[in-house]
Amino acid sequence: MSRLLSEEEYGRRPIGAFKQWVNGIRDPYLNNVEIREKIQPQESEEVLRKRQEEAVAVIRQVHDVANNSQYTLFRKFYKAAALVCCLTLTILLLITVAYLPPVGNAGNPAHNEVAAKYIEDGMQDTGAVNIVTGMILDYRAFDTFGESNVLFIATCTVLILMRNDKKKGKGSAEEEEKRDSFYEPKNDKILQTVAMVLVPFIILFGIYVILNGHLSPGGGFSGGAVIGAGLILYLNAFGFEKTERFFTAKTYKWISFSALSFYCIAKSYSFYTGAHHLESGIPLGTPGNILSSGLILPLNICVGLVVACTMYAFFALFRKGGF
Amino acid sequence: MTMEWIRFILGTGLLVIGAVTFLAEIFGVFKFRYVLNRMQVAAMGDTLGIGASMAGLMILFGFRFVTLKLALVLVFLWCASPVSSHLISRLEYTVDEDLEKFCELDVAEREEK
Amino acid sequence: MQIFQYILLAFLVICAVSVSFSKRLLNSILIFMSYSLIMSIIWILLESPDLAITEAAVGAGVTSVLFFATLKKIHAIREEDEENHE
Repeated sequence: MSRLLSEEEYGRRPIGAFKQWVNGIRDPYLNNVEIREKIQPQESEEVLRKRQEEAVAVIRQVHDVANNSQYTLFRKFYKAAALVCCLTLTILLLITVAYLPPVGNAGNPAHNEVAAKYIEDGMQDTGAVNIVTGMILDYRAFDTFGESNVLFIATCTVLILMRNDKKKGKGSAEEEEKRDSFYEPKNDKILQTVAMVLVPFIILFGIYVILNGHLSPGGGFSGGAVIGAGLILYLNAFGFEKTERFFTAKTYKWISFSALSFYCIAKSYSFYTGAHHLESGIPLGTPGNILSSGLILPLNICVGLVVACTMYAFFALFRKGGF
Repeated sequence: MTMEWIRFILGTGLLVIGAVTFLAEIFGVFKFRYVLNRMQVAAMGDTLGIGASMAGLMILFGFRFVTLKLALVLVFLWCASPVSSHLISRLEYTVDEDLEKFCELDVAEREEK
Repeated sequence: MQIFQYILLAFLVICAVSVSFSKRLLNSILIFMSYSLIMSIIWILLESPDLAITEAAVGAGVTSVLFFATLKKIHAIREEDEENHE
């Protein structure tokens, strides 16, 4: 015969208690364990006096800096040691400089065949008119990948330091932002009008610099920095409500993740096929066209996206503690 | 030939005016003691000096593609520089409590303080 | 042009030294901004405009804005203002 047990009665049974313990509702030992009364420690007069003396001694030895001979001695030693270290480093570096080969010597390590090869065959190998971009995004692409990752890691670090997780009430992100920009002019008509005129051109210029990275001076880093500066101007003019319509933490996450992973996959493919465009199957195109030089254009776009998002994220994190 | 000379003299004259304006601006920024005065000197010098020197450069370069770029630079700076000075002055206006010491205020503004 | 470069380089050294010797943090940041601007002009003279763009956007623009934000976070700006008025 079975009947439905009430909740309390069920809880008193072992199986019910076990289930509650598993679910984290109740600790089975909560009221069943004997707890000893907390004993207030009894201290004699002597111990108390000793403790007070100790406290005074600590204050005298640690906080009273001016009359502490040990501390002053240490300060002197510290200064002397710092001076000695700096002087030693300076002298070492100067000696090293003295051993460097003279400037402009033909036998210098700077004039080896690698640079000459880059300059001679750069356009043929990479298809980029701008040799610098061809170098940093093709010959030394993994170096640039590391730099982009450093930017991402820097954002993570700032996120750890500056993050403000509180949703509402005192100390929340909105509150902090309001307190931070209490004196700042809000909804300034002049600034908003100028920003409305200038920001599209700034961002357009950034996009131009990124897309023309392999043809003219510029590239992902410069263009991304320009776009980031434009976004910061927009944020300062219109506030967080407007920017949060198109840029939140989710956007940042996805843009960074997809750009970095695309970079990684594309360059891994390139290195897998021999790294020197042996049989990668990506056409280089005619140098000088906008759609040329193989992987450099997409990689430039990736780097530019990462840099722009990082700039904006830095500023938002510093201002508000979140974005 | 005369056209060339006229252009040269006009261009260099404008450049010199721009340089002199910049010098006056630097002098004024260090001479004045109060924020709004310094800001005004800086803003005036910026706009006039940049305008004069850019116009001189444009005349010297003649009608070329570079001239268009210089005009764009001029427009950008004329947008950016006055706005930044405006923001500085507005911040000073909101923050400073004894503004009356330095400048005259309306009745409404005085009550606001 | 050589003389111009020397003047700029001397300015660079002066800026770099006075950043560390300046008593106020705000002044240090402003001097650092001018350092970046001079550096970007030098990059142009060394015929690398891409670096010049980056230096002007990052060094003079974003970095100083971040420095200002940091100063505001640690309440360094307002105290200096109060000192000014006294």
